[in-house]
Amino acid sequence: MGSSEERVVAVIMVGGPTKGTRFRPLSLNVPKPLFPLAGQPMVHHPISACRNIPNLVQIYLIGFYEEREFALYVSSISHELRVPVRYLREDKPHGSAGGLYSFRDHIMEESPSHIVLLNCDVCCSFPLEAMLGAHKSYGGIGTMLVIKVSAESASQFGELVADLETKELLHYTEKPETFVSNLINCGVYIFTPEIFSAIEDVFKQRKERANLRRVSSFEALLSATKALPADFVRLDQDILSPLAGKKQLYTFETLDFWEQIKTPGMSLRCSGLYLCQYRHTSPQLLASGDGTKKATITGDVYIHPSAKVHPSAKIGPNVSISANARIGAGVRLISCIILDDVEIMENAVVIRSIVGWKSTIGKWSRVQGEGDYNAKLGITILGEAVDVEDEVVVINSVVLPNKTLTVSVQEEIIL
Amino acid sequence: MKALILVGGFGTRLRPLTLSVPKPLVDFGNKPMILHQIEALKEVGVTEVVLAINYQPEVMLNFLKDFENKLDIKITCSQETEPLGTAGPLALAREKLIDGSGDPFFVLNSDVISEYPFAQLIKFHKSHGGEATIMVTKVDEPSKYGVVVMEEGTGKVERFVEKPKIFVGNKINAGIYLLNPSILDRIQLKPTSIEKEVFPKIADERKLYAMVLPGFWMDIGQPRDYITGLRLYLDSLRKKASVKLASGPHILGNVLIHESAVIGEGCLIGPDVSIGPGCVVEAGVRLSRCTVMRGVRIKKHACISSSIIGWHSTVGQWARVENMTILGEDVHVCDEIYSNGGVVLPHKEIKSSILKPEIVM
Repeated sequence: MGSSEERVVAVIMVGGPTKGTRFRPLSLNVPKPLFPLAGQPMVHHPISACRNIPNLVQIYLIGFYEEREFALYVSSISHELRVPVRYLREDKPHGSAGGLYSFRDHIMEESPSHIVLLNCDVCCSFPLEAMLGAHKSYGGIGTMLVIKVSAESASQFGELVADLETKELLHYTEKPETFVSNLINCGVYIFTPEIFSAIEDVFKQRKERANLRRVSSFEALLSATKALPADFVRLDQDILSPLAGKKQLYTFETLDFWEQIKTPGMSLRCSGLYLCQYRHTSPQLLASGDGTKKATITGDVYIHPSAKVHPSAKIGPNVSISANARIGAGVRLISCIILDDVEIMENAVVIRSIVGWKSTIGKWSRVQGEGDYNAKLGITILGEAVDVEDEVVVINSVVLPNKTLTVSVQEEIIL
Repeated sequence: MKALILVGGFGTRLRPLTLSVPKPLVDFGNKPMILHQIEALKEVGVTEVVLAINYQPEVMLNFLKDFENKLDIKITCSQETEPLGTAGPLALAREKLIDGSGDPFFVLNSDVISEYPFAQLIKFHKSHGGEATIMVTKVDEPSKYGVVVMEEGTGKVERFVEKPKIFVGNKINAGIYLLNPSILDRIQLKPTSIEKEVFPKIADERKLYAMVLPGFWMDIGQPRDYITGLRLYLDSLRKKASVKLASGPHILGNVLIHESAVIGEGCLIGPDVSIGPGCVVEAGVRLSRCTVMRGVRIKKHACISSSIIGWHSTVGQWARVENMTILGEDVHVCDEIYSNGGVVLPHKEIKSSILKPEIVM
């Protein structure tokens, strides 16, 4: 197949509002896919990676948020990338394969030769061009991105076994209780249009099963405890797992970073990973300064052009400052995300925290997170419009929007 | 006559309930908090109520259209773009409050519940001829609040003392005022406190009077006080021999059950319980000192006390929910779960017990 016949459509699953409350309190104000990591909305990173795919003709975002939440973003990014980006809204969650299938007419509109499927809450280097090359050489209907992790953490994900030579997918299990493999599914896939037939087959089988068999009362009991509607089709368990070992699915291993962005703590960690990646992909986005004309910058730091940072402040490593933020004299910021319109007053210190839109941090106050990125109160999160008064200390706490902290707190959730 | 209700801000103390609706629309005794006040105002002849808000007018306005029609009273919003304190909003709503008739207007704090004896208030205000009347209520621990020191017989206010260190009196500001329009000349459109700046001046001029609020009083802006407030409210319904209260072998003490709610066999409900529209309480359930909001299902054999169950939530079979558990909208407590003071944000499923008070996000 010559490259002139090659057309690629990318599909990014973005999820929806009621699914997953783990991203609270940030998700109370913004849909998770639009939360900024390293200065750009979360969904921007996979979209940007799609730019490197030759012959990319269209990008679809599929989710069940309201259309208006994505309208502005989608029109501005289409304009910027000069590739059409569209948001398609599911009326209810269908599972990743169900969602893909329900919009197959849109996806197949441009007669793509390949379909790239990405999950928005995956943080990685998205080596799509190399992966596409590998997929074409394998000749299967799908290639999944995989990565080796520690044996202990593997059980949280989909574990798989691949042939060392041919890279064929031999076996796949979702979140197994016993150890299967330390090679896991990254949530990034390349398919040929035949994937739709594979999904259709699953629908047909389910219908046949429902019509032909009288389900025994015991079976009915089993399925009743975890009943999924017939049109909820999960890609990994329902489609890929049965196809393993049939010379249809292959794997492509990445040796770069990979994380899932499920919690605000992880978004802070992933913001750091993307900032580090900017060094290679977009060094012009990283800030620099030595304390003379501009603030002292150490490590990877992103500062929005409209933000104002006093030259006596010291920023970094792993800091991202959004639009119109004002950072006062003598402020120290380490490992944090400062969102739009935040004001940080003189000599304040912010470490391992997320400071929400329009919040203010008083003079000599200290906002800090001390724990694990994945722990419930591992980092400090201030919601929208939170005011921390002068000299107040906030450690390992989560503060919901529109609160004023007049006294110090530790390990608390403030509603 | 006109009235201004100070609705104010985000109602963060009543979270997680106020994550789903603005505070004045949170149900209390099976109707939105603010409706209790609006109905009482309508009864004394108020024709227009202005809500001073600084948040979410769209959600409010939709509900209000509904009440406007049902109650035949005009309801408008006055929206602050910056916080104006407790007096500033009066200046902002000036045009709406002055109608040229010279009639005094009411100002109410939206978090306050009481019997709203507005007719008596109007009578007292007219009789003393002063510029402003505030209602005061007796409390056990006056030092927690601002105390109003007044002359015994006349009710003339001598002074205000904020959180007094020694006993100066046991009456505090109840958040219900009747004010002459001339008071608006004293208030500028900027953040101003009515208790700290405006009233003391009027008191100095011997033009401020106070009337002791008969009956119950409660500020229900936070969950613990909301539950106490419900007890007081249901108690006052009992005193008025209200037919709204439920009765029967399965009822203990004061209980309010909406006519569309369904109660199963073998339940014991009360004291101090309110059950909202469309609720289903299955067989063998024990409820005491709790509020069950619209559309909630309580499954068989469950036991709930001293808690608030938010709209459209479910409580599983044999679950035990107690000690200031607050469930937000659409929260589902699984079978056999124990919640001791869990505060659960909307759209959550509780699959494991909460052994000590904690917030579940």
